Amino acid sequence: MTSRARTITRRSTGIRTHRLSAAPARPDRTPSTPMNCSIQSLLQRTLAPVVAAGLLSVALPTASAQDLVAVRGGTVHTMKDGVLENATILIENGRITAVGTEVEVPWNATVVDAEGKVVLPSYILAHCSGGMGGQNERMANVPFLTVTDALDPSSQFFEDSRRNGIGTIHVIPGNRTLVGGQGMIVRPYGKTVEDMAIATRTGLKLSLLSTGQSRLAQIRGMRNALRDAETAQAELERKRTEFEKEQAAGVIPEDKEFEEKLDERQEPVAKLLRGEMRGFLYVPSAAEVSEVEQMKADYQVLDLVLILGPQCYKAADRIAALGYPVILDDSALEYTETDPQTEDETLVCPPKFFADAGIDFAIGISESLSSSSRYPWWQMATMVRHGVSRDQALRSMTTRPAEILGLQDRIGSIAEGMTANIQVLTGDPLSATTWVDTLVLEGEVVYRRSDDRRLKILFGEDSDKNSSVDETEKGGE
Amino acid sequence: MRCSNPFTQTRPAMKRLLFAPKFAIAIAVLVSTVGQPISAQESGAGNSGADTVLAFQNATVLPADGRVIDDGIVVVRNGKIVAVGPAVDLAIPDGATVVDCEGGTITPGLVDASTTIGVASSDLNEQGEEVTPHLRVLDVIDPESKIFTRARRQGVTTVQINPGNKNVIGGLGAVVKTVGDTLADMLVLDVSGLRMTMGDEPSQGNRAIRGGTPVGIFYRRPTTRMGVVWEARSAFFRAQKYMEQQTIPGEAQQTGFDPGLEVLAQVLRGEMQVRTTARQEQDIRTALRLAEEFGYRTLVEEATEAWRVADELLAAEATVLFSSPSIEQAREGAEIRWFTLKRLADREVPFVICSGADVGSRPLMQEAMFAVRFGLTRDQALQAITSRPAAVLGIADRVGSIRPGLDADLVVWTGDPFEPTSAVHSVYVEGQEVSR
Repeated sequence: MTSRARTITRRSTGIRTHRLSAAPARPDRTPSTPMNCSIQSLLQRTLAPVVAAGLLSVALPTASAQDLVAVRGGTVHTMKDGVLENATILIENGRITAVGTEVEVPWNATVVDAEGKVVLPSYILAHCSGGMGGQNERMANVPFLTVTDALDPSSQFFEDSRRNGIGTIHVIPGNRTLVGGQGMIVRPYGKTVEDMAIATRTGLKLSLLSTGQSRLAQIRGMRNALRDAETAQAELERKRTEFEKEQAAGVIPEDKEFEEKLDERQEPVAKLLRGEMRGFLYVPSAAEVSEVEQMKADYQVLDLVLILGPQCYKAADRIAALGYPVILDDSALEYTETDPQTEDETLVCPPKFFADAGIDFAIGISESLSSSSRYPWWQMATMVRHGVSRDQALRSMTTRPAEILGLQDRIGSIAEGMTANIQVLTGDPLSATTWVDTLVLEGEVVYRRSDDRRLKILFGEDSDKNSSVDETEKGGE
Repeated sequence: MRCSNPFTQTRPAMKRLLFAPKFAIAIAVLVSTVGQPISAQESGAGNSGADTVLAFQNATVLPADGRVIDDGIVVVRNGKIVAVGPAVDLAIPDGATVVDCEGGTITPGLVDASTTIGVASSDLNEQGEEVTPHLRVLDVIDPESKIFTRARRQGVTTVQINPGNKNVIGGLGAVVKTVGDTLADMLVLDVSGLRMTMGDEPSQGNRAIRGGTPVGIFYRRPTTRMGVVWEARSAFFRAQKYMEQQTIPGEAQQTGFDPGLEVLAQVLRGEMQVRTTARQEQDIRTALRLAEEFGYRTLVEEATEAWRVADELLAAEATVLFSSPSIEQAREGAEIRWFTLKRLADREVPFVICSGADVGSRPLMQEAMFAVRFGLTRDQALQAITSRPAAVLGIADRVGSIRPGLDADLVVWTGDPFEPTSAVHSVYVEGQEVSR
């Protein structure tokens, strides 16, 4: 079967990346292929792997070019210890070594001038399908897929992300596949997927959104997918027990090992059921919340993050009771609800309901170029417009997504010891006239507004047809 | 700014309708009730006798065509603005109902000069012919449409509604307020502008099934840009001929009355505003060329690539009805530049900001906010969604700014309307609160 052959090819690529990014460096080994070469370079820049949330193997490389950087004189929103006026952040080897108003700038430091500007940790997207080709596999149950194989480093989405101050993105398949595949965490900077990789196989995407079939059929599909993996796992365990029994009885030689493994296509779901892989479950509306409760009752070990659609807010209290971390889908921040009887429309702000229910959530942004939801400032301001606190709005794109990804000790706030992921803004982060001036990722300046070529084109600093050309052409008509 | 052009003059509704005598009797009833601006007394609180007086206080007033008043008061009597000024100078009249704006900001009700709202999508484009100048959008506006509610909740109180863009000459638009139980209640102008479309939108969807030549009644011409322009041109040729025939005694009787050509004749006589949708540079040029060829003037709608032809737009005295500055993905492959509106402003090309087709998904104030992000001043941006569109539609004597004598169409914002954290506090149309 062709589809199977394709599947295996994809899987092997994914595993290779995974293994290499998580494995310790082997300096004695000479790189033989370009692929190995780039991975080797990644490893050379890699810090000791950090085990975050007990699940993710995470490696944050340090800067290579600039060892000492100072972000000087800004209003610093630390997201941890309040706001510091006229403060300086010192960065060494990609990490923040000092934050404060009394920090001295060494003579040899590269200075990022933030005077009169606002400094924030770079934003974090804990759930996003931007920058990948083909977000939704049409086959319903494809846990073995990984976005590593679909990520496009040259996607405009990553360029826009830098322009918008986004420094860490968890890319994961879309909301329209039952069991959609595995995600990876990237920085929106780098020529290859290996350059961009922070962590691979970071979670399995699941969705209760029914596409082209009934809600119940989708739920049944989800139950079947979980039960099939459970059955396969149980069968494997039974065989192992039998094997060990036979070994003890001397039927099988002592030195023989049990070699049978779970089908690669079922292994990710089995891992999910063992609590070894995190599930990112899309819940489109309040109606599906009961099913999430059922899933929790059936599989207590499940480690889920809920991605909530616009209509979930009615079950805010039940979602809070579930206790799973919550990410609000980009479309779920402001939503026009139509009464089915009267057709009257009400503008609803779901985040307000979740905030009132005591849920600390992360939010997503849109990838659509025709939607203002693609801007973090718009998304956060939308919540504030409806009564969510500014602090919670800012947290929803910094500390909270960092916690959900298990990276809170590395990113999401500005403090000594944290990775230097910092953005310098021209003004209030929630204002329409504010722009990202500089983005520093892991101590390296990866975006400067003054060097932004696309922005220059959009603002007419390139060679457009000027007025004299227009006049000439007009004269010729 | 340059907004004065002869097409923007409001003409008596009766005169405009005369081109269709066969409808005249039926319409006469309508005209008698709605043709004239709805007077404040009729549309006020519905009480006869005592005046209804409202006083908005504790607000920053952005009048759109005047100076910002930091702590201002707006006095409204029977649906009309009667006074506006700083709280220190202006006394609140005795017996006035005081509206506390809680430190928010008051702007005029927003005016969207190009929408297709309140019309079922299946009713927007007549597919029977590609030149339908005599069709009126007025006949298909649904006052019950929830999108009017949505529009006024976003602070949009007056809208121009157009037919769709799939016909070369699509038909006549209308201007309505976004509140009212009947169309008669809502109506501001029963006829407002003739919509034309350049580019490839009118030629799309006109392909023969499985290739081949599009022939037969199931396929509409045109199939190319050339065909689109020719359809417009040949229609104006027919209109010229028609006008000639009308002047010859006896001849007019024989040729009879053609409602479509009558509209085009009005265009050629300078009595009917034309709005041409053109996105790419070449289409904008075509729109201007066609207008020059037949001696009429046109507004240019959408105008994504207006940045390329600013000087020509200025020379042609064409007002640009610019759509959705917030979006970054243009139609028909037109190139977007964020400096477009600033360039038009700098070169004094008159322009208006429209939300695009769908008021619901892109609030007009949000579009103005993006225009400021991209370089317009706040005054320019606010005028581009209030006083300017009102002037372009020829209704500046009724709406579009906060000054005595105008309809009390007001939006109270919770804060600075150019900040995304501000929301609509309340909306008033002719002194009546319509949304909170």
